[in-house]
Amino acid sequence: RQHLVAIGQTGEVKRATLEEVRERLNWLAQKRREESQGVGDVVDLGKRLEVRKE
Amino acid sequence: KDWDDDEIEEVQQVDDTDDLDPETERAAWKLRELKRVKREREAIEIAEKEREEIERRRHLSKEERD
Amino acid sequence: MSHQADAKRLFDSRGYAGATIHNQNPVHLLEKPVRDRIIESYYWKEQCFAINEATLCDRAAAISFIGGTYGQQKPTPFLCLAMKLLQLMPERDIVLEYLRQEEFKYLSALAAFYIRLTFEAKEVYGILEPLLGDWRKLRRRTRDGGYALTYIDQFVDDLLTKDRVCGTSLRKLPQRTVLEDLGVLDVRESALGEELEALDDDDDEVMEMEV
Repeated sequence: RQHLVAIGQTGEVKRATLEEVRERLNWLAQKRREESQGVGDVVDLGKRLEVRKE
Repeated sequence: KDWDDDEIEEVQQVDDTDDLDPETERAAWKLRELKRVKREREAIEIAEKEREEIERRRHLSKEERD
Repeated sequence: MSHQADAKRLFDSRGYAGATIHNQNPVHLLEKPVRDRIIESYYWKEQCFAINEATLCDRAAAISFIGGTYGQQKPTPFLCLAMKLLQLMPERDIVLEYLRQEEFKYLSALAAFYIRLTFEAKEVYGILEPLLGDWRKLRRRTRDGGYALTYIDQFVDDLLTKDRVCGTSLRKLPQRTVLEDLGVLDVRESALGEELEALDDDDDEVMEMEV
């Protein structure tokens, strides 16, 4: 909310520094890895269930 | 968040996942790169020929003048 | 430093007083009809509003294809983000960070496109050519709305040799050989390195591989 007011009313967006860009990219990369790990777990679970059936 | 929900399935028809078959992927790249190298060399050859031609003509016109 | 979230000022061609690239308003590096389509698009209004150099990474990490316009001249998110970059004009180090980070290939592609549009010829070659050795796959939206497969190296090669890429007329780039003759550039070294010697021995290899 405050954020919206800040950008909406002044009509300005704060520029980011190189450091902030790097941090953002690291965070996004980590998020992506965690998400793909999550998918991996589901596959593993599926496999384990299949193995059990046999 | 997805601006084109109906199109997601269609997107997946072209798979952009890397390293599914690294050797083939590298071989395909090698072919593309070889073509580029070849194209570059041909461009250099053409440029050289043009230069020679200009040189030849300059020579000719000089002799004609004399 | 800050920029206007409201882009009106930027798109008013009269009285534009902001920074320029190649002596013009940077967003004018995209063609007028394309710019109009972008500004009208939902993606521009919803996803490109009030983002900066850092939050733009979120958008770039989420895109899954490159391309210009398709169907009824609908702009791709890739093109919308390119316009956002032209509006933001991130500092050089940030653009290079976009290009060289290895996690998000569509962000690298976006940076390559931006560099081709805005950097000087010598740098365009110097900075982009190393990516001719990057064979990661890219999905490309074609004008008819379908999808095709391309690669980073192929996309970069297009940027260096074609007049039009992603619905955009590229500024004329001097031929590599011209810059070499002027001593501005050295001859390109292929990432193939020693493998190229095989080509020298047998110039027909390319032909054979094609068969």
